[in-house]
Amino acid sequence: MIDLLIVFGILSAFYVAWNIGANDAANSMATSYGSRALNLRQIIIIAAVLEFLGAAFFGKNVVKTIAKGIVPIEILDPNLVVYGSIAALLSAGLWITIATYLHLPISTTHSIVGAMLGFGIAAVSQGHLSLNAIKWDELFKIMLSWLISPISGAILAFFIFSIIRITLFRKFRHEEVERVFRYLQVFTACYVAFAHGSNDVANAVGPMAAIFGLREGGYYEIPREILAFGGLGIALGIATWGYRVIKLVGEQITRLTFTRGFSAEFATATTVLTASALGLPISTTHTLVGSVIGVGLAGGITGVNIGVIQKIIFSWILTLPIAMLFSIGIYTILVVFV
Amino acid sequence: MKFFRSVGQVFGYSPFPTLVKHAVLCGRAVGILQKQFEAYERGNFELVEKFRDEIDELESQADELKEEIRTHVTRSLILPIDRQDLLEFLRAQDEIINNCEHVGHMLTFRKAKVDIKIMDELKILLAQLMECVNEYEAMVDHIGTLIETSFDKREIQRVLELIQEIESLEHECDQIQMKLHTLLFNSEELNPLDVYLMITWVVHLGYIANSAARAADRFRLMILGR
Repeated sequence: MIDLLIVFGILSAFYVAWNIGANDAANSMATSYGSRALNLRQIIIIAAVLEFLGAAFFGKNVVKTIAKGIVPIEILDPNLVVYGSIAALLSAGLWITIATYLHLPISTTHSIVGAMLGFGIAAVSQGHLSLNAIKWDELFKIMLSWLISPISGAILAFFIFSIIRITLFRKFRHEEVERVFRYLQVFTACYVAFAHGSNDVANAVGPMAAIFGLREGGYYEIPREILAFGGLGIALGIATWGYRVIKLVGEQITRLTFTRGFSAEFATATTVLTASALGLPISTTHTLVGSVIGVGLAGGITGVNIGVIQKIIFSWILTLPIAMLFSIGIYTILVVFV
Repeated sequence: MKFFRSVGQVFGYSPFPTLVKHAVLCGRAVGILQKQFEAYERGNFELVEKFRDEIDELESQADELKEEIRTHVTRSLILPIDRQDLLEFLRAQDEIINNCEHVGHMLTFRKAKVDIKIMDELKILLAQLMECVNEYEAMVDHIGTLIETSFDKREIQRVLELIQEIESLEHECDQIQMKLHTLLFNSEELNPLDVYLMITWVVHLGYIANSAARAADRFRLMILGR
């Protein structure tokens, strides 16, 4: 029975990875399409390859945070960890599906963190854990990073674009500067894909790592195959569905020239990669929104709609409790009936 | 396609393409006005009325564009220029086509006897006005490059020169107007009602040039005051 559950869990993890590829990766790559620095085919190839590399080789720290940074899985019964991880994956997957259908700009990161927290709280309510055992300080750090990352994106993008404007636009002809940045944007597109893979793979395979990573004697190690598995799911998501999303979002953001796209992408990727190194699960898309606003504030893009901030805050407030409640529900069902 | 999440919403409304379209309508209205005067000269009053309706149609299209901008440019939109400056500029630009509409109406009030000397001078005024509005359109069209270069100083310099050009064209319109007024006030042989009508034309044609110059000035304030 537990084996069947694990198979089910693997499938849901793959689905979440696929959805991340189809939507989040696509959103991050759409800037390159919006500015027409790359064509759709090039973007798909870059995104698929570099998302995979980022996930497989740089995703470890964030996966660790999702797997054992919120719920102390070392002190739980391994069977409960299986139930909890699968509950978290299913609820994150379910909420992501609903939100995607409703076009809500939610974050898969917030969903999985909320879902893991739900698992922890359910374990507390059944007396398997004490409330203090949940790593609240870690959780607080994560939530703080959700606030800081879009701001960091905005500040970085503001400075990068301002520097380009002040140093390059004044010295050289505008068309020449843009032409050079067309090529530089190929580099930032890779950078964004790599950074995104490194941070967001955890949203799909973090709970899997909680199941498979635990070794005898409480020793913990994340299997590389799991990272590669998540990377593959993301790459597949981009290739099978992401191209539609890239096209759709790219058409909304045609006002991005190469220098603007470069600034927004560079700021986003740097912020996200730093977070990955620190093991902080953040939302790439929210960071990208912050970066675009930063370029807008530097006078780079006309008509940046900061009304979208409200929507994002609303989706935050919605995502955490919903993912948590789903997770508590599914976990309880699993514990009672399986 | 229903299954997607998007951050595209952060890219809100940009008023500038619509602003350029609005300026193009102003230019077209002056062009029709020119044809309307020619039809008047030939005594083809049916055509004069047709042109009046065409200008009315352009004016109402321009009003729609103006409303579009005014409803979309909210405070939650980050623009590279001041929102208030933009709205003031739009209001000034809208006056150009409003004045065209007025003149278009005035041509249908009365079938005046046309004096060749006066008509020739009127045509000169209209040609000058057309040039002024053409320059004006070129100025507004620059907004795209201004934004792309993040208001590069050289680009601003180019636009400022255009604005000066518009202002000097408006000044020349004034000169022609003065000449026309002198002519008209000394046409004892003409019917006073005809003279009165033509004076109102001249005055209002002057308003068109004035409103273009005023809008150009607003444009200058907008791009310098960001």
